[in-house]
This record gives sequence, C-alpha cells and structure tokens, in this order.
Amino acid sequence: MNLDWSVVFSHWPLLAHGVLMTVLLTVLTMLIAIPGGIVLAAMRMSGSRVLSLVSVCFVEFFRNVPIILVVYWAFYVMPVLTDLSLPAFVTGLTALAMNNSAYNSETFRSGLNSIRKGQREAGLALGMSGPQTFFKIVLPQAWRRVLPVLASAWVSLFKDTSLVSVISVGELTYTAMLIRSQTFRVMEMITAMAVIYWLMGYPQAKLVDWINRRYGVSE
Amino acid sequence: MDFDFTPVFDSAGYLLGGVGTTILLSLLSIILGGVIGLAVGLGRCYGSRPLALVLGFYVDTMRAIPVLVLLVWMYFAFPIASGINLPPFWAAVVALSLHSAAYVAEIFRAGIQSIRSGQTRAGLALGMSTSQLIRKIILPQAFIRMLPDFGSIISRTIKYTSIATVIAVPELMRRADTVATQSYRPIEVFTAAMVAYFVMTFPVTRVVDGVYRRVAHRGQS
Repeated sequence: MNLDWSVVFSHWPLLAHGVLMTVLLTVLTMLIAIPGGIVLAAMRMSGSRVLSLVSVCFVEFFRNVPIILVVYWAFYVMPVLTDLSLPAFVTGLTALAMNNSAYNSETFRSGLNSIRKGQREAGLALGMSGPQTFFKIVLPQAWRRVLPVLASAWVSLFKDTSLVSVISVGELTYTAMLIRSQTFRVMEMITAMAVIYWLMGYPQAKLVDWINRRYGVSE
Repeated sequence: MDFDFTPVFDSAGYLLGGVGTTILLSLLSIILGGVIGLAVGLGRCYGSRPLALVLGFYVDTMRAIPVLVLLVWMYFAFPIASGINLPPFWAAVVALSLHSAAYVAEIFRAGIQSIRSGQTRAGLALGMSTSQLIRKIILPQAFIRMLPDFGSIISRTIKYTSIATVIAVPELMRRADTVATQSYRPIEVFTAAMVAYFVMTFPVTRVVDGVYRRVAHRGQS
C-alpha cells in the first residue's frame, strides 16, 4: 500500500471551499430553523385546533422521516411546486431547514412546558401582564433548558449537512468525494475528509458538553 | 400536476424487500450498538482512568463525524487500510453500530450517574461486589430511566440506515431511488418511501414511551 498524502494538500483550495459551504449551510439552516421552530411551537400552543393540527403533522412527519430522503424528495418536488429550477444549494437548505424546524419546535415547546404553571400564576398574581410574565419570568427560565438542546441540535445539523452531497451541493463531503473519483486517491481523500470533519466537530461536541454543564438544569 | 402511483404498486415486492433489508440492518445495528454501547458506558463509569479517557475519545469522535463519512470510510478506506473487504451490508452494520454505540454509551453513562450515590454505598455496605452492585442495583433502575432515550436512539438508527444507500446497500432508500429513476415517477415513489419510513419509526418512540409510562415508578428511588 503506497499512500500519497500530497493529493490532500494540492487540493486544499477546493477542500477549503467545501468547508466554507458546510459552515454556510449549517449557519443558514439554523438561522431559518430557529424562527421556524418558534413559529411551529407557537402554532402548536396557540389554542387554535387547526393551527395546532397543522403544526403537529408537520413536526411528527419530519421527525420520523430520514433527512436524506427529504433531500431527494425536495430535489424532485420543489421544481414541480415552484416551477423554478432552483440551485441544489437552495434545495438542500430547504430540506435541512424543514427537518430542523421540526426538531427545534419540540425543543422550544418542551422548554416552555417545563416551567411550572405556578411561576406564571405567581407573576400574574403580582399584577404583571401576560406578556410581562412570559418575557420576564417564563422565558428566562425556559432559555436555560432550551440552550443545551439547541447546542446539540447544532452539532447534529453540522454533521447532517453532509447528506446534501447526494444532490451535488458542493460542501465538504461532495468536494472530497469528487477529488477522490478524479485522483483515485481513495484512502487519502476519505481519511482527510473524516479528519477535517473531526477537527471541526470535536470542539463543537466539547462546547456542547460545556454548555450542558454551565446551563444544564437538573431536578 | 397529475400523480400516478402505479409504479409504486408495480414494484411493491421489490420495495418491500428493501423494507426487509432496512429492518434487518436496523435490528443488527441496534443490537450491536447496544452491546458495544453498554460496554463503553460501563468502561467510562467504572473503568480505570486511561481506559475511560480512551473511551471518552471514541465517543466524542463519533459525535464529531457524520454517519455518512463513517460509512464511506468503512466501505472504501477500511479495506485498503486493513486488507479486509467488507460487503456493503456489513460495512453499513459496522459503521451504524459504531455510531449508535457512542450515543448508547452516553445514555448509559447519564443513566448510571443519575442513580444516587447512596444506592452504591448501601450495596457496598451490604457486602456486594462491584459487579453485583452494577447488575442488581444500578442497572435495573438506570435501565428504566433510560427507556425514552433508547426509543429515540432506535428511531434515529432506523432513519440513519437510509444513508447506507450511498454505498449501494439494497435497503428501502436505495430501492426507492432505483424505482424512481426507472419509472420517471420520483415524487410518487419517494412519497411512498417517506410513508414507509414514517410507519416504521413513528410507532417505535410511541411504544417505548408508552412502556416507560407504565414502568417509570420502578426507576424512582
């Protein structure tokens, strides 16, 4: 077995671009999925049966279907629905955002539900208005329970962005696999890809542990 | 826009074969992942410090690398590195087991740590050995508390088996892709596949949560 690692270094601008796209996908997906999750959670808790049913169906559906299938599905369905030929990046972003919005909505909902009713009632009894109770009493406490879960969702999302490579979005996995098929340096490219993911993912996993220790609430 | 689901029904047998492979792949990965995860979790809680460090590194590495990358590495790079050629199905079993084992280990660790230390001291005071203590006192209680997390790890594993499509394991995702390409009906075929995955994963978490609600009191101490 002779290995030639120079192939990794000679292709570094391509790989760096792939890394950039992976990071961009992660950040953009979260930027969409946090408001998306809030809207879905608000719909579920709104008291309107129709809104709540729509939210439940959306959330339960996307939580129980593989992301890779959603990616394929979006790739074929979105052009039909919108009559536009969207770039693969947008399609991948949409699929990831829908999936993550579903997960985030459950995070927000269980975070808010974990604050006992007595807290809200105490606020109201002190003469605070409904929104005041929500923003000054419920939200600051719920935040501490939501943040650790959101942080691990972030790391999962970072890893799941690799799945959009199946529709040729030029992120790290796609780029590395492309270089692999052009140079036939299979071992080197795949290992380099794994190492790059590790270098980025390991500190994130450690950060999640730290957030859990710092903000985690145990009862 | 008109839909035509006949390709799905025409290839029903072929797709159901894919469902079978998906279920088999999931079962093997869950069982193997569970066993390795238990060993790793126990090693981290009760093992020596160097062992705990190594196992911690393994767990954090699995948390940092995408399943897709692990799968591709197992299938393409592992044979070059070791000289052992794994068929796609077994490469997928190994990769998925190694991945879920790390998460199972974290669940076990959290479960074991949630048992109050008074329980351990009581067991030791009664003259139990560490292995007796783990088997008779810690694990029975911790196991109940871990049930909901097991439910989500099982449904996660079922969903992640679909990634094995990239190394051509003939499971549901792969077969749906084949039928979609041949019939030019991707929307219908992928929608049917989504429904099939939903039917497989949705009941799992529900059943596990239902069982948990009935036995939760046994985990309280």
